[in-house]
Amino acid sequence: MIILKNVTKYFKTKKTYKYILNNVNICIPSEKNIGILGPNGAGKSTLLRMLGQIDFPNKGKIESNCTFSWPMGLGNGFQGSMTGRENVKFVCRIYGLKNKQLKKAISFVEDFAEIGDYFNMPIKLYSSGMKSRLSFGLSLFFDFDYMIIDETLSVGDQRFQKKSKDMLRDKIKKSKAILVSHSMDTLREICDVGIYINNGDITYFDNIEEAIQCYQKNV
Amino acid sequence: MTLMRVKNKNIDYHVIVGLLYREIQTRFGSKQFGYFWGIFDAMLMIIIFAGLKKIVSSNSMLHLDFTVFLAVGFLSFFLWKNIVNKSLTAFSANKALFLYQRVRPYHTLLTRLFLEVLISISTIFIFLFIGWFFGFDLSIDNFLFTILSLGWLIVFGFSIGFLSSILSELYEIYAKVMNILLSPLLFISAIMYSVESLPPKLQEVILYNPLVHFMELIHGFYFKSLNTNHVDFEYIFYWTVVPLILGLYLYRKHEERIISS
Repeated sequence: MIILKNVTKYFKTKKTYKYILNNVNICIPSEKNIGILGPNGAGKSTLLRMLGQIDFPNKGKIESNCTFSWPMGLGNGFQGSMTGRENVKFVCRIYGLKNKQLKKAISFVEDFAEIGDYFNMPIKLYSSGMKSRLSFGLSLFFDFDYMIIDETLSVGDQRFQKKSKDMLRDKIKKSKAILVSHSMDTLREICDVGIYINNGDITYFDNIEEAIQCYQKNV
Repeated sequence: MTLMRVKNKNIDYHVIVGLLYREIQTRFGSKQFGYFWGIFDAMLMIIIFAGLKKIVSSNSMLHLDFTVFLAVGFLSFFLWKNIVNKSLTAFSANKALFLYQRVRPYHTLLTRLFLEVLISISTIFIFLFIGWFFGFDLSIDNFLFTILSLGWLIVFGFSIGFLSSILSELYEIYAKVMNILLSPLLFISAIMYSVESLPPKLQEVILYNPLVHFMELIHGFYFKSLNTNHVDFEYIFYWTVVPLILGLYLYRKHEERIISS
């Protein structure tokens, strides 16, 4: 369960306030995959960051006792001068993996990402697609209550996209996903409920189909 | 496919261990002779100043070995300065990692503190070995109190570093000002001389610098022929506690801003 209480989030520019959320109160029930829709710049990514607790509302509170993955696809938490392997090791360590588990995680990510020799090269040589592959593979290894995914499913060639989707479908039997996507098919396939965000207001829909209809009407 | 259930246990410990590995890798792994430079710095200073002293004057401190006096001063000073310096950039250097919810700014500070202390301890051991090898008189007058003073100096470094890390995040100019303030400290902190050897007027002025008290403290406990008469314990107590409390207050207030900026 995720509860938003009187949540207000804005960005200050010189003259005006740009509101992302304006005094929002909603309650998202547990065990649902959540799709987030809205036009560009409405604040979908900011909302994801706030749900993942790496950004914070200006007023109000977001309450939840679930674990959230890092937002995939939004920048990346990798150190450029270190290799892919070393970065994977770091993330595994902060999540408490040791010895055997650590090795297992590394070979899992290496296999999944399919970036070949680049795995042992500094991240700064990676393309953004390669970084996303690594980040996505890494998060698949852990069972969070919620996986936070921002458009990452459109990374890579068709075969890789299919593999990612298959993995995710398998994954959401245990974890739940919070997904931002502009692909209605992906949203329909993965998500149960929807959130439409626009002009500082968000609307919660019990059914992803209604959210998609609302989105398509407004665009 | 249950691979690894994410648990919220011992987060601080795991995060700091992860950061420590990472910090060591970036600090020493990428540069050649990385380990060497840490020691070389202090070594060079000691050789230069010990040599100068030999040339310029005869012994003003008859009862102790001036080279050892310098070594104790420089090692303590560099320990303090490195803690402060590394704290200044702790947040900005690790900004990308705040993407992981469990990594919080104070973790990066504590990691850097641990690492600096670890490096200093190993440097001290290397110096002790070198000193012993060349037959210097390394005898310590009051071992326990020397260690305690060094511990206090570490806390003082952390307290200044902690406050500085937040201020440098809030005000861009702070780090620049701090760097300017830090550079002359080497010469006005009673590292190469004792307060006793200065004229009384100068003593009065220089004792406003809290580091002078710490150097007097450490020197005084290390060498039999020196004392801690010039140390104002109350003064350095305030210098330790006030920045720490201020830092804690500002940290609580601005942590979210540091994470999300």
